[in-house]
Amino acid sequence: MIGFTCIALANARPYISPEASELILKTGMENTSALLEELGVRNKAIYLPSSLREGRPQALIPLTGILDTGRIRAKIPGRLIVRYGDGPGDMALAVTTPGSISLEKLESKPGPNAADIEAAVTYVLTGLLDLANNVTVNMGDGEVKVEVSGPRLHYEDIWYYRCLGSPVASIVATIVCEALGKPVRIAEEDYNRGKSTVHLEVLP
Amino acid sequence: MRAFNRYILFLVLAAFAINTAIAFVAPNDLTVFFTANVLAFLVITVLHAYLNPRARQSLNAIGIVLFGGFLVIVILKAVDVLSKK
Repeated sequence: MIGFTCIALANARPYISPEASELILKTGMENTSALLEELGVRNKAIYLPSSLREGRPQALIPLTGILDTGRIRAKIPGRLIVRYGDGPGDMALAVTTPGSISLEKLESKPGPNAADIEAAVTYVLTGLLDLANNVTVNMGDGEVKVEVSGPRLHYEDIWYYRCLGSPVASIVATIVCEALGKPVRIAEEDYNRGKSTVHLEVLP
Repeated sequence: MRAFNRYILFLVLAAFAINTAIAFVAPNDLTVFFTANVLAFLVITVLHAYLNPRARQSLNAIGIVLFGGFLVIVILKAVDVLSKK
């Protein structure tokens, strides 16, 4: 019985080797990082739910200043450089993050409560991607605190992570924004004693 | 520990505990061994429902085959009990 189970699990592993996956991830990250560096963008990204984008949740990195979510028009077009408001400086980069892709793997959209979000994040990070051991979600007034135990991808002080957060935080932010149907921003991300804590700010 | 490793570890520990216990209680009845192991497999698989879809599909297939074996045992037992009456 255990032998058959091992064979079944071995066949369930992805066709692409972890080395190839890492290579592809790093290539994508370096390209986005180079783009952000070239444009001199230092602002933190805002994760938008699919209802505000054309079908897929994406991150919006304002090109100038801090993005005011109140100025976001009904639906932002599916382009790389987008105008989100009516002002001349309301321009932003709309990028797809690891979270945007992983959300497609969810069978149903999580509900706007801590239990549903925790189940969805656990499913994606632990079951699907094997990027963490355990996830705990706590929701407060206008903020969501997510504790990820044993994350395999830590936060690094690089340009990409400063704008978009680590891949784990990005996945968490995308699931939370999609569940709540509201834009979110990664306010803080820290790593301590094998536990990564992601503080998300829920924007109006 | 990775999810797959944890799943296999739980399965091995459960099988070890169950088989050792049954070896002391009813060592001559193979159906008891089979039934207890199948139940342990199904319970542990349900507790690891968050494994990726391909793994779950494979484990469900194994679960169906094992459950079929369990049903055969139940039917044989039922036939045995009814024929004695």
